[in-house]
Amino acid sequence: MNRFNPDMTGEPAVELNSVSLRYDTADDVLSDVNMRLKPGSFTFLTGASGAGKSSLLKLIYLAHAPTRGEVRLFGMATGFLKRRQLSALRRRIGVVFQDFRLLEHLTAFENVALPLRVIGQKPEQYREEVVDLLRWVGLGERMHALPQSLSGGEQQRLSIARALISKPNLLVADEPTGNVDPEMGKRIFRLFVELNRRLGTTIIIATHDLALIREFDAPVLRLQNGLIVQDVEYQSV
Amino acid sequence: MSKSTPLLPESDAREAALFFVVAALCFLAVLATLTARGTYTAARAWSAQVEGEMTVRVTGTDRRGAEEAAAVVRGLDGVRSADVLTKEELERLLEPSFGPGGIPAGIPMPLIIAVETQPDSVTTALSVTNALTARGFNAVAEAHSDYAAEARRALGTLRIAAIGIVVLLTATAIAVIAFATHAALLARKDIVDVLHLAGAEDSFVAQLFERRFWTLGLKAGAAGSVAALAATALIVFSAQSSSAQNQLLPQLSLDFWDLVILAVTPIAAGLAARLAAGGTVNHALKAVL
Repeated sequence: MNRFNPDMTGEPAVELNSVSLRYDTADDVLSDVNMRLKPGSFTFLTGASGAGKSSLLKLIYLAHAPTRGEVRLFGMATGFLKRRQLSALRRRIGVVFQDFRLLEHLTAFENVALPLRVIGQKPEQYREEVVDLLRWVGLGERMHALPQSLSGGEQQRLSIARALISKPNLLVADEPTGNVDPEMGKRIFRLFVELNRRLGTTIIIATHDLALIREFDAPVLRLQNGLIVQDVEYQSV
Repeated sequence: MSKSTPLLPESDAREAALFFVVAALCFLAVLATLTARGTYTAARAWSAQVEGEMTVRVTGTDRRGAEEAAAVVRGLDGVRSADVLTKEELERLLEPSFGPGGIPAGIPMPLIIAVETQPDSVTTALSVTNALTARGFNAVAEAHSDYAAEARRALGTLRIAAIGIVVLLTATAIAVIAFATHAALLARKDIVDVLHLAGAEDSFVAQLFERRFWTLGLKAGAAGSVAALAATALIVFSAQSSSAQNQLLPQLSLDFWDLVILAVTPIAAGLAARLAAGGTVNHALKAVL
């Protein structure tokens, strides 16, 4: 048993069954992908550029529907859910985007609070929580700053804080260290590890940083031309 | 902590352009409505005025004979008055044709009896003609309402045209707003995507745009209404200060219903903008997962 995969029973947090994805009329970006992530697991997703890592993550965080196959999250078949149910499901998923996707006109505090505003919480309800989280990611002094005044590493940590504020069951991170130096990359990964250990959040991280993968010793899914070619933990190919 | 920043950024140049277009459309719609109402009201008043009027032309007799004919007409049921027009009254009537110098000598003057009937009178032009003919007069009566019928037909056409213009302008405004909302949605796709993936329901995202465009429609409608009010006031002032035959101009004056139109226009524009925005956003969101 890998140290990042507590032996938990029950429905997988993520389950992809014979999933394929095709954009418009191009070839399949993902072909017949089968994978399962146990609740509380920590998994790396790796592969060359264009292998389909981001597309796979988009299926998991419900940005796209698969062309074929089934995506199940927390035991629910997403293809049969109503729009409201999909929205509710998205609230259980935190996403760290490769390009951060911070809202430029909102302060760091407001960016982090966004998922809570979406569910109708008032500032007095989330203020303390947001401040605590900003401190945790090392941005306690920058909470009133606009994103464009933050460095790349600060923006990355801000996007991580936004992904974590609603205490998601599943965290999906797409190249979260792609825009930061190696030392910051390690700090960010340690944040994820702490989150995984403390809260039992299921985490899947797409990265091509093999040094970090080796250092953190978590199971790896490797994608090549839209196919999972290596599955250390689950042997799902 | 200060008040939360709106999730949609403050208005940009596109919204300024949209504001101008909606304000202009509201201005035209209000002006078309007020002008149509003024014209319709004036024409209806004129129509009601001439409804009970008749003119009898008597030939082959002198003024005394005309006076006798007038007495015959006065004796008919429902006739309020019947008077032979004096020379001065005839000259005033014909002033538009002959000018203020009066009718040149040598031109034969017709003998005219001006008749007024009760509103519900059964006496018609034909019955007056028949009564006078039976008494040996060579006379022909004409009801002014025959001319009013033409005006009524024109008024009906005018009313339909005005409604058509207002409907067209409203539809144009809604289409423009829907188009602008779609453009705004595309321009802010990054924000919509982040909200969507953070678990925002379609109604939450739609409400952001609805509120924005409701405010825009309300303000643009108010600007258009105020501009139309100013233009109407200018026309009224020009018409009233002119010594020309201003009875030929529409009676543009602001009554209660005109003020209602001015007050309701911004609300209607706001609602139209809100509905157009909401519909567009909901439709666009349904196209994504």
